[in-house]
Amino acid sequence: MQRNLPHICPSCGSGLQVKTLVCDECHTEVTGVFDLPLLASLTAREQDFIIEFVKSSGSLKIMAQQLGLSYPTVRNLLDDIILKLQPTSKK
Amino acid sequence: MKKWLFNPFQYIAGAKSLLIGFIILAASASICYFSKIHFNGVVGSQKSDTIAPFYFYFLEGLIDWACISLLLYFSGLIFSRSSIRLVDVFGTQAVARWPMVIAAIIGFGIAVPPGINNMLPKDLVNMITPSMIALTLLTLVCIIWMVALMYHAFTVSCNLKGGKATGIFIAAIVIAQIVSSILIHSIYNHLI
Repeated sequence: MQRNLPHICPSCGSGLQVKTLVCDECHTEVTGVFDLPLLASLTAREQDFIIEFVKSSGSLKIMAQQLGLSYPTVRNLLDDIILKLQPTSKK
Repeated sequence: MKKWLFNPFQYIAGAKSLLIGFIILAASASICYFSKIHFNGVVGSQKSDTIAPFYFYFLEGLIDWACISLLLYFSGLIFSRSSIRLVDVFGTQAVARWPMVIAAIIGFGIAVPPGINNMLPKDLVNMITPSMIALTLLTLVCIIWMVALMYHAFTVSCNLKGGKATGIFIAAIVIAQIVSSILIHSIYNHLI
């Protein structure tokens, strides 16, 4: 089962921060307050889209061919992600 | 299947849609010439016994398509946050008109006697048959289907959603219907 990284507090709706990081090998724990990267606020599908976009050198035409979608559909997906990444006041 | 019927624009747009759209316009004009169906407005369809040259049927389709596409393109330029492309708006709007090919074929089944334009209303009522009503309803379904396709073509090509997209689309349809009807009728009166 794929687990999604939570980025919004289920209690008050504010953005979450990272408190503890763990080494997978020796189980050393690093504690502090770290901001989540901006891309963590996107869904797994949107993150995959960004990765594919970078891989195709930012070409929407190549992306459209790879995904089997039309150019405006791919452009709309990208524009929706851009809007999501903008601060709330700019939306 | 549902997406291909009502929103094929997720897969088809740009130059490809423009080419397919031109084929659709040419095909519907050719069928209309023989079935005597006139698309005398963006969402209008009428059977007529008046003989018109072939290019007039083609011109009707072109005017309908150009009116709505231009209005939606300029609306998109004003209201959309995306950098929209002319080829996407015109191409998808042309493809959206494909149910009118079916409406043109349905026209073969609708019989219009000579001199219908000069008949009295009571004589016209007597001529209405169940098959004529059924075929007219089928044409109406084609027009509704085309409008649904046009709306989805607009939302995809201009990246507009929700109430904003619906409001702009309805306004554009109404204006385009008026403008195209006036243009077609003035050309028609000039020709015949």
